[in-house]
Amino acid sequence: MRVLVVEDELRLAANIVAGLREAGFAVDHAADGLAASAYAEQDLFDLIVLDLMLPGRDGKSVLRTLRARGIHSPVLILTAQEGKASTIELLNAGADDYLAKPFDLGELIARAKALIRRSKGKSSPVLQVGELSIDTVRQTVTRDLRTFDLSPTEYRILEYLAHRPRAVVSKKELLEHLYDYDWEHHSNVIEAHISNLRRKLTSAEEEPIIETLRHRGYRLRVEEVR
Amino acid sequence: MTSSASITRRITSSVLALELLAALVLIATVANHERDVQFTVFKTNLRASANALFGTLQEAENKGGSIALDSSARSLPAAAVYRVSDGNGNVLGIQGPAPLIEVAPGTFIKLMVNGQPYLFYSMSGERAIDPGKPFAVYHHVRIIYGLPTKRVWHEVVEAVRFFAFATLLLLGTTAFFLTWLIRKLLTPVRELALEADRINTDTWFFNAPQSSKRFMELRPLASAIEKSIHRLQRSFEQQRRFTSDAAHELKTDLAVIKSSLQVLSMKRRTVEEYEHGIAGSLEDLKRLESTVQKMLALARLEQAPTIQNQSCDFSEVVLESVALNQPFAEIRELTIVPSGTELAVQVPVGKKDALLLCANVFMNALQHSPSHGHIDVMMTQTPGSVCLKVRDRGPGIEEEDRPMLFDAFYRGDTSRSRETGGTGLGLSICKAICDRSGGSISISNHPEGGALVDILLPVLPDDPPAV
Repeated sequence: MRVLVVEDELRLAANIVAGLREAGFAVDHAADGLAASAYAEQDLFDLIVLDLMLPGRDGKSVLRTLRARGIHSPVLILTAQEGKASTIELLNAGADDYLAKPFDLGELIARAKALIRRSKGKSSPVLQVGELSIDTVRQTVTRDLRTFDLSPTEYRILEYLAHRPRAVVSKKELLEHLYDYDWEHHSNVIEAHISNLRRKLTSAEEEPIIETLRHRGYRLRVEEVR
Repeated sequence: MTSSASITRRITSSVLALELLAALVLIATVANHERDVQFTVFKTNLRASANALFGTLQEAENKGGSIALDSSARSLPAAAVYRVSDGNGNVLGIQGPAPLIEVAPGTFIKLMVNGQPYLFYSMSGERAIDPGKPFAVYHHVRIIYGLPTKRVWHEVVEAVRFFAFATLLLLGTTAFFLTWLIRKLLTPVRELALEADRINTDTWFFNAPQSSKRFMELRPLASAIEKSIHRLQRSFEQQRRFTSDAAHELKTDLAVIKSSLQVLSMKRRTVEEYEHGIAGSLEDLKRLESTVQKMLALARLEQAPTIQNQSCDFSEVVLESVALNQPFAEIRELTIVPSGTELAVQVPVGKKDALLLCANVFMNALQHSPSHGHIDVMMTQTPGSVCLKVRDRGPGIEEEDRPMLFDAFYRGDTSRSRETGGTGLGLSICKAICDRSGGSISISNHPEGGALVDILLPVLPDDPPAV
């Protein structure tokens, strides 16, 4: 999942980015309102963490233009301002949640996960795809009491696919949502990770759980309920 | 209930007291006048009656050279007392216990008769029998005629009583109408109070009622309330903004520290990572500490100036501050060029505050200057004041920032300032120091580029007389 962090206080931004990355997100950072708008309008982000007091353009106006342009990424507002009025105004302007500074980083990560989950149409932190059970909090994958040892990237690919079972997800989309701009793009990394995943999740005699559709992308196969 | 004075009651009672006084004077005058009139009439009446009595005597039949008064010929009041006598002491006619007295004819005299006050008139005349004839007899007649004055006094008292009653009626009516009128006239005051009562910290809206604007006497009050509400609102808003900005600042600093430590504790890390994290957190703490310190300094300076005999040599302070800032200037390869600091000049600012003032101004100049430039520090003395001009070669100030430059937490460029260590409190502190000592500070753009800070401080006399 890819998150955009918009925060002008660089030390704070660095901490949020580090925390989110450790939690398994691909994170991009914008330090002012104009950069934030430019980033967000690419519509690549599964979540936007937005500070309110920004140089250039304030958070509220960034939020309004985003919603006006039809970008539906969930937005989590960070604010150091007090008062119910401003909270109501923000939620009415299209924000999905808000956190008051100084916030708890653990809470920020938990809310980020919850917002992403909701935006993908899921309510439980445990995703059930066929026989696979993906715990998005502990980041573990189990199948018939078997636990798989996945690398962070493999887990992220699987989780992304699991949010959209049966849909074809292109390699480009995977790249866009699993890697931030700091990452060197090599399109074959995805192929390598997919093949590793497939090997780890399915034994030789089973049908592969991830299908490759040539020139189209990947699909998580879901067996019909027995 | 505590004693509370009422304007209505006061005005009413004052007017009533004045009215009463006027009425008393009027009654006294009227009584006096009435008495005069009544007595004049009474005396005329007496004289007329006495003359009538004499007339009766003139017409009386002559009985052998002597005369007698036929009292039945005249109808005289029963209360009347008179005596008519001739020159030989023979009484010609009498009614009542007329006193036997000798008074000059044509005069009035007060006497008590039967325990009642009477006024008597005495007159004399000649009764001639057969005048013009050789056997004419002349009788010298004396008449004394009196009536009780009780009736006159009764008239006077009646008149006074009438006036007193009328006055009382008038006073009552006045009191009633006056109270009503004052109540009615004071309505705008009540409306003004009602409107003023609506003001609280949430609604700083005061619209003077039309009624209070109509009256010349209330207009200054209404406009004074309006103005002071406006001033209060401004200072309240300023305070609120300061609190909110201060909270924002502190929360941001806290958020940095908290998140730094939380990232550090997300998983087990190497010793190097921990060391790096702790060092970073200490840096962040230092920022927080400096913010708090500056806020406290500002709070101390903005308190009402206390009378204190603090002073320092401003030239010395400027030179010391330049020396203190030298290391930072060297890092940025800038030179500070002070001038005009040869003469000692005493200013009414404590040395600590003066150093803080200079440090803040120099730091601002150093931070906004491009490298390899220089900063001019010019000090000039005029009688009674000293002026310090600090000019940098930076981008100068934006015209739109100018009114807010001295506001707490205001930063010309929000994106940059936190990184350069500014809290947005430096200039507010400078202004507080200058204001406190009766000086001033302003910032403008130098015509040849760069910002120019102008500080004006009052100068103390060289040798303050020992008190």
